Order: sequence, then C-alpha cells, then structure tokens
Amino acid sequence: MIVVNYLAAVALFCTGLSAVLTRRNLIKIVMGLSLMESSTYLFMISLAYRAGSTAPVLLNPPHGQSPQRLAHGNVADPVLQNFCLTAVVIGVAVTAVFLSVVVRIAQHYRTLDAGKVREMRG
Amino acid sequence: MSAPAGPPHSTGRRPEATEREPVHRRWAALILVAATAVALGTAMVAIPREHAPLPAVARYALDVSLPKWGLTEPVNEVVYGTRGFDTFGETFLLLAAVMSVVVISRSKEPRRGYFGETLAGEREQRAADPPDRADAVERATRAAERHEEDDDAGQDRPDTPDAVPLGTPAPETTRAMTVVVRTGIRVALPLLAVAGCYLVAEGYSPGGGFPGGAVLLGVLLLTYAGFGRRKVAAVVRPGLLEGIELAGAAAIVVTEVLGLVLKGSVSANWLPLAAPQTILSGGIAQLFSGSELIEVGTGLGIAVFALIGMGHDWSDDR
Repeated sequence: MIVVNYLAAVALFCTGLSAVLTRRNLIKIVMGLSLMESSTYLFMISLAYRAGSTAPVLLNPPHGQSPQRLAHGNVADPVLQNFCLTAVVIGVAVTAVFLSVVVRIAQHYRTLDAGKVREMRG
Repeated sequence: MSAPAGPPHSTGRRPEATEREPVHRRWAALILVAATAVALGTAMVAIPREHAPLPAVARYALDVSLPKWGLTEPVNEVVYGTRGFDTFGETFLLLAAVMSVVVISRSKEPRRGYFGETLAGEREQRAADPPDRADAVERATRAAERHEEDDDAGQDRPDTPDAVPLGTPAPETTRAMTVVVRTGIRVALPLLAVAGCYLVAEGYSPGGGFPGGAVLLGVLLLTYAGFGRRKVAAVVRPGLLEGIELAGAAAIVVTEVLGLVLKGSVSANWLPLAAPQTILSGGIAQLFSGSELIEVGTGLGIAVFALIGMGHDWSDDR
C-alpha cells in the first residue's frame, strides 16, 4: 500500500503548484514552492521503503547473522535516503534565496503582491 | 493583499470568514494542476513498489560499505563514497545559494569606478528620475528600523521582560527572552551541540556533516532567539563565518582532488581505514563529513543571519 504515499506526494506537489499558480502574495508563492519540494522528500523516502525491511544499518546484526548477510538481506534503499538528506539542506538554502529576493521586492515596491510589481507583469 | 473581515454576524447562518484572498487564473491553474495530477498519478501507479528488488546501485552500496570503506552506515557510504562526486556538486550548489543570499541582502554601496564614474550622468538621471521625497510612512519606517537595529536605542527597552509584574502587558521589545525560555535554552543547548558533533564524530550516522551542520545552526539560532544578538555577535560576523565556510569548501575540494591525484578517481579513498565504529572509520568519508559540517553549519548560518539582518536599502537608485 506504499502507493498511497506516492499519491500523497502527488497531492502535496499539486497543492504547492496550485498555490504558485493562483496566489499573488510572494510569500505564499514561496510556500507553494517549498510544498512542491517537500513532496519530493516524501516521494523519495516512500520509494526507498521495502515491505518488512530493516533500516540500512550494518550494526548489531540479529543473533546468528553477519553484517554482510544483513547487507544482502531485506533492507530499505540507502541511495534514496541519501538524496533526501542532501536535498533538505539544499532546500533550506534555496528557500533563503527566494525569501531574500522577496524581502528586496517588498522593500523596493512596498508590496508583496506580484500583480502590483510592475516589472514582473507580463 | 488580504484584508481581515468584519466582526462575526449574530445570525450565525454563515461561518465567519477571517481572511479573503483573491484567487487568480483559477481555471488555467485548475486545468494545469489536474493535468499534472493525472500525469504524475499515472506514473506513480506504474513505478516499483515495496516488493520490488533493490536497484543495483543500492545493493552495490550495501556490499561495499563495510569491506571497502569500513562504514556500518551504508547511507553515509553513499553520501561520501559511491556518490561523493554528486555530494561535491551539491556542496557547491549550497555555496552558490549562500553567496546569492549574501549578494542580495547586502545593501547598495556607492560605485567606486574609475575617474568620475559616480558623477557621470547624475544631472540627467535626476532630471529623468527625480528622487522620491520621504513621506510620513517612510519617515516612521526609517525611525522604527533605526530603533530595531540599534540595541541601545531609547531607554524603553529593558534587557529582559523578567522585571515586569505578572498580569501586565509585556514590553514590546526586549534584548533577551524571559528567564523561563533562557533556562530552557541553557539546558537544551549543550545537549544539542553535543548531538550535532556526535552525528559527525563516530562516522556511523546517516549523512554525518549534513544533519550535524543543521543542528549546529540550531544552536546558533537558539542562542540568538533566547539571549539576543549581543551574545552571538562575537561569533556571527560575516567576515568570520564566510572565511570558515570557504575553508570548509577548500577542504572538500582538496579531499576530492587528492583522490584523483593519488588513486586515479575523484572521491576515491586515499586515507588508511580505521576499524568500523571508531572516530576515524571511513577514511576520507569522515574527512569529507567533517568538512561538510563546517560548510553546512556556517553556510546556513550566513544565509539565515543575512536574511534576519536584512535592512532596508534606503539609498537612491542611481
């Protein structure tokens, strides 16, 4: 039933996309972009899941097993977990870039309404 | 912009709307979002699920983690070993993002060009685009900003709200938070700082430097929030943080390039392997992870504090 998680990630992505498309408040547009980004974390972590698996940790194997045997057993996908780890940090930095641009726009035009920002109209 | 609605109606027939915001391009957005949902939903139903075998790259990472890197944590092996080059690229994406924030948040400086460049065309510029006169709103905003930026401005700003009797309105601005918050932070900070370093030190935590750096940023932010900017001012200085961050980035470059020079491939391990679950296990993975801790901790610190301290740029457009 992991497909429910996949569809939840799609729903989250679409929620973010609709916020980006229908809102003109720049902060809400950035929130929409962050939602779209979060949906990829949910998707990748769900994609890493395997039914009945253990975490990809080769530490303290269960009684009668070696770490190498554990590596060949049923474990979650470590590569997708790696994607998530780095993506979260990059996501924070990219959101900081978005927000600093928004602050500058708000200071310059004294509005957060993208529709009122003349140069962005088109 | 949104506007708060009036007081609730006494009839009670309609629920109170607290905020109304116009929705734009409703139909175009609906069509695009629906199309995206259908496309992604169809793809999601067809992709591998929880019973699919692990991809070859994941199995490879699990296989080589202990014998080749001495790491009991395959996620760490993937981050700093198998996909080390990708992490290398992501690090510099982070660096680029931090630099962007620094450039955007920095206030405008007078142009220092060659002979008379600042004055060239000034008269024509003033004629075409006369500078705005400061109105009442701008004057009030400037005064409020000066007050906010200057920790010593005015006598009405107490150090903490502790002296205010219970039941009375708290002061609008203080330099630090209440004794309850400060005590909580004093207890949490050492634990958080040790946890952040521990994530990196033993080399068997997933990601190592990435979560460790984010935790160290939490330490800085908690200190700032609880005790005010004076307590972090000695550490949170652009000159210091930017220097440390670039040192972290340089250490990552050296770690990766030495792999190419000594072992013939970028991010190859060129350090002797220590026993698993020790502080030096993982060879260059641990070195990379430690450098990443510096890079992520200071990089996010620079970005967040640049954003927090972003003042209004009042200079004229020239």
